Amino acid sequence: MSKINNIIDVKALTKVFNGKVRAVDGISFTVKEGEILGFLGPNGAGKTTTLNMLATLLRPTSGSATVNSHNILEDADAVRRSIGYVFQDPTLDLELTGRENLDFHGRLYGLERIVRQQRIEEMLEVVQLTDRADDLVKTYSGGMKRRLEIARGLLHHPKVLFLDEPTLGLDPQTRRSIWEHVQRLNQEKNVTIILTTHYTEEADYLCERILIIDFGKIVALDTPGKLKARLEGDVVSLVFKDPAVIVRIRPLLEEKEWIRSINVVASGNSYATMSHMMQMMRGMSGSIGIGGMMPGMDSGSIGGRGKIPKQVQQMLAKGMADENGQRGRDKGAKCLNLLVDNGGHRIPEIVKLVDEAGVILESVELHKPTLDDVFLSVTGRDIRDERGSFMEMARRHRIVQQARGRRIRG
Amino acid sequence: MVQPLSGQAIYVVLLRELKQYWRAKARIISSVAQSFFFLAVFGLGIGSFVGGFGSINYLSYMAPGVIGMGLLFGSVFSGVSVIFDRQFGFMKEMLVAPVSRTSIILGKILGGAVTASIQGIILMAVAGIMGAFTPTITLVAGALAAVGVMLLITAGFVGLGVAIGSTLNDFHAFQLLSTFVIWPLFMLSGVFFPIDVVPLPLQVAMLFDPMFYGVELLRWCLLGAGTPLLGPLGWLISLGVLIGFNALMIGVGTYLFSRAQV
Repeated sequence: MSKINNIIDVKALTKVFNGKVRAVDGISFTVKEGEILGFLGPNGAGKTTTLNMLATLLRPTSGSATVNSHNILEDADAVRRSIGYVFQDPTLDLELTGRENLDFHGRLYGLERIVRQQRIEEMLEVVQLTDRADDLVKTYSGGMKRRLEIARGLLHHPKVLFLDEPTLGLDPQTRRSIWEHVQRLNQEKNVTIILTTHYTEEADYLCERILIIDFGKIVALDTPGKLKARLEGDVVSLVFKDPAVIVRIRPLLEEKEWIRSINVVASGNSYATMSHMMQMMRGMSGSIGIGGMMPGMDSGSIGGRGKIPKQVQQMLAKGMADENGQRGRDKGAKCLNLLVDNGGHRIPEIVKLVDEAGVILESVELHKPTLDDVFLSVTGRDIRDERGSFMEMARRHRIVQQARGRRIRG
Repeated sequence: MVQPLSGQAIYVVLLRELKQYWRAKARIISSVAQSFFFLAVFGLGIGSFVGGFGSINYLSYMAPGVIGMGLLFGSVFSGVSVIFDRQFGFMKEMLVAPVSRTSIILGKILGGAVTASIQGIILMAVAGIMGAFTPTITLVAGALAAVGVMLLITAGFVGLGVAIGSTLNDFHAFQLLSTFVIWPLFMLSGVFFPIDVVPLPLQVAMLFDPMFYGVELLRWCLLGAGTPLLGPLGWLISLGVLIGFNALMIGVGTYLFSRAQV
């Protein structure tokens, strides 16, 4: 009986928003007890929507799933008791202390006084917040708040913990400490963990298996090692001074049978722009609080659903100009990634070929395939570069954000 | 979907409201001070040339209305605070728990009613100290009855606040809410003038204000009489209207909250 050790069993789960956006499109997978599974995908891929359906906050359009053997459609309360959910946006009561936030949660889940107090002490200990437990949460740092939320999610001893973008917006040091906490909790409490992320390094570091999701569909599901092993060989990155030459050089490279695949990749700087923009978009949909998360945002736009902050408007306008006006001279895409066997030995040949074509190379890089490359190969897009389909992603993201809230189940 | 009630959930939401009320000292102080200014300036000021209505002096006449003002503002804003719970995400924490939305909102309404009534009791004491009520044995009984009336008044208005808060998504609408809902409810409740001396259109408007009946009932409790317009059974009529208003508002508030977006 495979059902016994599959703590989550998802069958053809689908969510359609507004009758047109297929946010989650017929996905099926199982999760074993004690596993850490990562949903990897860009914003708007359907990660949070999937979690919300599994958490019974959102009713699927079709398909079904069981969590801890309870059906998400038939026994929502039993499912809810089986899970802890750490949402992407902060959900703490800032005017209460850390301990009071935990106490509120314990009572809400019907824990007896003695059990409650015992577990609160224990969880505070685990996330190292004991000495700050009686301070108001509004005095906590971002990492402390996140740790408190994780502690809270585990207070009622759920079998499964959902972590939605657990380290979004945290500095690298704090991120590392959250990862360690998550791993320790998984090992010590044998909690099955499902986390969503769009950081490939996070998925690589934490997850036993990674489910790559794109436009609502599963495009890959395997261990990080096996995913990377799919891409045998090395990745050679060619960076050009003038992006326009990519169009010229690509056909020449495609003729070489030893080059297994070619992908156009953005330069690094579009990433910073993207994540900044995505943060603002989340603010736009009214789901993020005020405090310091978006320093550039004027308070006039807070809470106004549909009101677009000026900066985002400018960026959107710029993005459109880039897409429409500069198609050939794409500043973001000035790099070609070639997947080749024995990359180091092929470099002289590649350089010669490029040189003969009269094209100026800025630099050449050689590296082993990373999850970024895996993502690129299965989706045809760079996870960091959402430019190509940015307007589509932005539109999807907005519709899903709005519709998601409206239909949330009580 | 069937929504079973959970006593524990109602209690914990109520507890949170009480904690937050107790911690927001500035809110308590400003509300008490505001009511005191009303009583001191209007009560004594207007009272000095109006004198009073019948055997009741102006300060005494105004006192139940000013208490009502505190109840009204406190309860509506307490209900509207569901907007903040949504904005700051805490609502999600409550909604993902294995408890019904009805339990959560009943806790919220109960919490709002209790905190606003505590406010009312403080105001009643302030008015008492200022000499608004004749200290007799019946006043003790009246004051106790008034506490019950306060809970009745506030529960309905928290429901109204929840209904509004579940419909609005915007802090900016606060100003509109204040100008077009709370102030008219307050001004038409008969705080400053008795209903039987004003022109007919104003009388009709006042009769449509649920807060008018709340203030009436408080007057019955604290002064032993209400407006002659409703007759000697005015307290019973007011009680009936308030109970009806409560049922309606708690129902509407719960319904709108259940289907509101997060």
